Amino acid sequence: MRRSPTLITAAVAGAVLSLAACSGGNDGPLVIYSGRAEELVQPLIDQFEETSGIEVDVRYAGSTDLAATLLEEGEATEADVFYAQDPASLGSVASMMTNLDDSILDLVDSRFADREGRWIGTSGRVRAFIYNTSTDLPLPQTIDDVNAPSWSGQLGVAPTNGSFLAFVSAMILERGEEATLSWLQDLAANDPVSFEGNSPIVAATDAGEIQGGLVNHYYLLRLRAEGAGENAENWIIPAGDVGSLVMPAGAAILSTTDQSEAATEFVEFLLSTTAQEFFATETFEYPLIEGVDLDGAVPLADIPAPDIDLSQLADVLDDATRLVTEAGLV
Amino acid sequence: MGVIAPPPDRTRASSTRPTRSLGWWIAASVVLIPALVPPISLAIQVLLSGTGLIFPTSRLIELLAATLGLAVAVTITSLSIGTITAWLTTRTDLRGRNTWMVLAALPLVIPSYMAALTVIGATGNNGLLAAIGLTIPTPYGFWGAWLALSLFLAPLAHLTIIPGLRAIDPAIEDAGVGLGASRWRVFWTITLPQLRPSLVSAALMIGLYTLSDFGAVSLLRYDTFTRAIYTLYAGQIDRRPAATLSLILMALALTVLTIEWSTRRRAGYRSSSTKRGRRLVVLRGPGRFVSIGFLGSLTAISLLLPVSVLIYWLVRGLRLGNELGSLWDEVGRTLGIALAAAAVTVVAAFPLAMVTTWKRRRMSTTYESVAWGAYSLPHITVGVAVIAFVLRSAPIVYQTAALLLLVYMGMFLAQAMSPIQDSLRRASPDLEDASRGLGRGQLTTLRRITLPITTPGLLAAATLVFISVMKELPATLLLRPNGFETLAIRIWSATGEAFYTRASAASLALLAVSIVPLLVMTRRDLNT
Repeated sequence: MRRSPTLITAAVAGAVLSLAACSGGNDGPLVIYSGRAEELVQPLIDQFEETSGIEVDVRYAGSTDLAATLLEEGEATEADVFYAQDPASLGSVASMMTNLDDSILDLVDSRFADREGRWIGTSGRVRAFIYNTSTDLPLPQTIDDVNAPSWSGQLGVAPTNGSFLAFVSAMILERGEEATLSWLQDLAANDPVSFEGNSPIVAATDAGEIQGGLVNHYYLLRLRAEGAGENAENWIIPAGDVGSLVMPAGAAILSTTDQSEAATEFVEFLLSTTAQEFFATETFEYPLIEGVDLDGAVPLADIPAPDIDLSQLADVLDDATRLVTEAGLV
Repeated sequence: MGVIAPPPDRTRASSTRPTRSLGWWIAASVVLIPALVPPISLAIQVLLSGTGLIFPTSRLIELLAATLGLAVAVTITSLSIGTITAWLTTRTDLRGRNTWMVLAALPLVIPSYMAALTVIGATGNNGLLAAIGLTIPTPYGFWGAWLALSLFLAPLAHLTIIPGLRAIDPAIEDAGVGLGASRWRVFWTITLPQLRPSLVSAALMIGLYTLSDFGAVSLLRYDTFTRAIYTLYAGQIDRRPAATLSLILMALALTVLTIEWSTRRRAGYRSSSTKRGRRLVVLRGPGRFVSIGFLGSLTAISLLLPVSVLIYWLVRGLRLGNELGSLWDEVGRTLGIALAAAAVTVVAAFPLAMVTTWKRRRMSTTYESVAWGAYSLPHITVGVAVIAFVLRSAPIVYQTAALLLLVYMGMFLAQAMSPIQDSLRRASPDLEDASRGLGRGQLTTLRRITLPITTPGLLAAATLVFISVMKELPATLLLRPNGFETLAIRIWSATGEAFYTRASAASLALLAVSIVPLLVMTRRDLNT
């Protein structure tokens, strides 16, 4: 009479063990941890596999998630390359990265790479102010104008989104913690409409439900590709403050890799003309190498960017979340 | 004193002999391990490295109140809708009631994030409804989250209450009617109290799910505890604050459970063995009109609208030349892992359901709480806790499908346990006793008596777990093997970057695949 539960236990254990056995690790392919969405970069990775003959395994998830996962995995990680959406995620695992070759680092303006050459920007995303084209509210000339009383209740923000947090981190570097907190408190006091991410802000602005919002530039272009977005436009805040921050997505090679050649080849591929043109035409991001441009947008060189060391973003990322919370935005 | 008979004992008195139950207790303990790992791992993390809390207490209380308020509102609404749909489709002579029964169950396959997304896509100035001249503002905040969650969780109540309604002995209700009571009075004084166990199961599933939901509350912008937890995980490398909040949330869930148990009245609700025909309530004139109207608008809002929004996005994007790419791999993986998880979880939940329906002891209450506690944890928390635990203690299973299965099992054990418990409680222990009395061993009794009796419960359990796994996102994202993309992951990735065309295609594929087992289950229900 004791056999039955024992049998069930045995069956469960057996099923689990056999599954564990058949899904064990494999050293073969190049493992990429990608904080960039599959929708954005998988075609590019397919192309890489085809031209290089290197087999690739990608793990997609949020950039910060993957950074935390990498830190947790430590030396045991199977990842060879970390490809992330923002410098903050990259920077937080900088201690696990190997230095990139100078030949790679030379391809890109040094303000879009780690000071010590551990990660490199591969495409640029610009913080933009999205606005409804029929709005009669004054467009902000500085990031502080965003908190003007006229925008009260009309401004969309995504306080929990990675790109907003990276923007706040940049502000901490530019102005210090106290001033950043007070900016965030002003923002919170101005009754902003908070969204989960950038694309709903752009959609709501396009629909006239709000008059404007703080986003990255390419969401509008993406929405237009889906058949909407005619009533919205990007505005680059002209003051040269963090309101027009250029935030590169970037890549790094982990020092534990057993495939450094393939990994290097992948990073080089991301900076090849093919890949850079892909970014310009498919993901609407700014190419970062010479000679490739993004059509239909303000040229990268004309964007007044603040002087901020992106290598340091990671150091203040957790502070950014804390301040956003403290200001009551989350 | 002697005039009032003591209430019949709701427990299964036959199986109290400890010598017979030891094996079952061992099995139940083993299957609880995956449910215990996340909370223990979290607790250790917090104990060793501190809470790291960045929220002021006042904010925590605010979030707790908001979360609890939503959970209560959603539970009441879903239970009401589910009770009405279940009653209308099993107890009345409504035309096409079998079809309505299936239609009322179908929204279950819509994940909460998709529900929220389609609410947003349908309303507002650019919404689908605006295209047909019906511009209603998007219901953000509490009402939006309440609406989306209530509508898409009501099928859980519907599906749980139908077998409950079927199991009620018609003789008791007939006696009520015979004694001159109105149909309403019979419903309130006889039917509803007898439905209590089904209602409680449904309420736990719905209420505790609401505590852990992220998709609907985040897209519809209602601040809850779980949203705060996700925010901390997404924005911070330091994972302690989120771990602390998760523990608080689980404590909240356990408090809810304790309250539920302390108010649980003892009630007998075993169906009599005489299967008599049941008379259907005849709906006349206005009653019929109102019923059809209710079922019709419910289906329109919770099924037709989301599917229309998805198709609208799909067609709009395809006409602009957006490409879809193949989804077959994702369909295959999603199906495979969901089927495997359903099988493993149901097998695991069986011994747990057995021991927790035996004579009430502190131990069975504890076991049940562990399962429900694990169910109430936000899935991202489970994922993070498991990563920390596995990397230290069993790195070999890290990022394997086997680990994913175990994690699903821990998360959805309660959801499988509940319908099995219901069917066990309804079965008369006399049958098992008779079998053993006739000299049959426990294995034979299990095979010939207990399993056939609980088949509907097992099937319901498998279906619920299957659908939950199909929809699961956060834990899958963190724990899956490299390259193991599921439909839910594709939807997440596509919506995050505003690839609506592809997100719609993946969503429609997810709905199509999830509907199959639900149809099988309701079909079977129709035939019994």
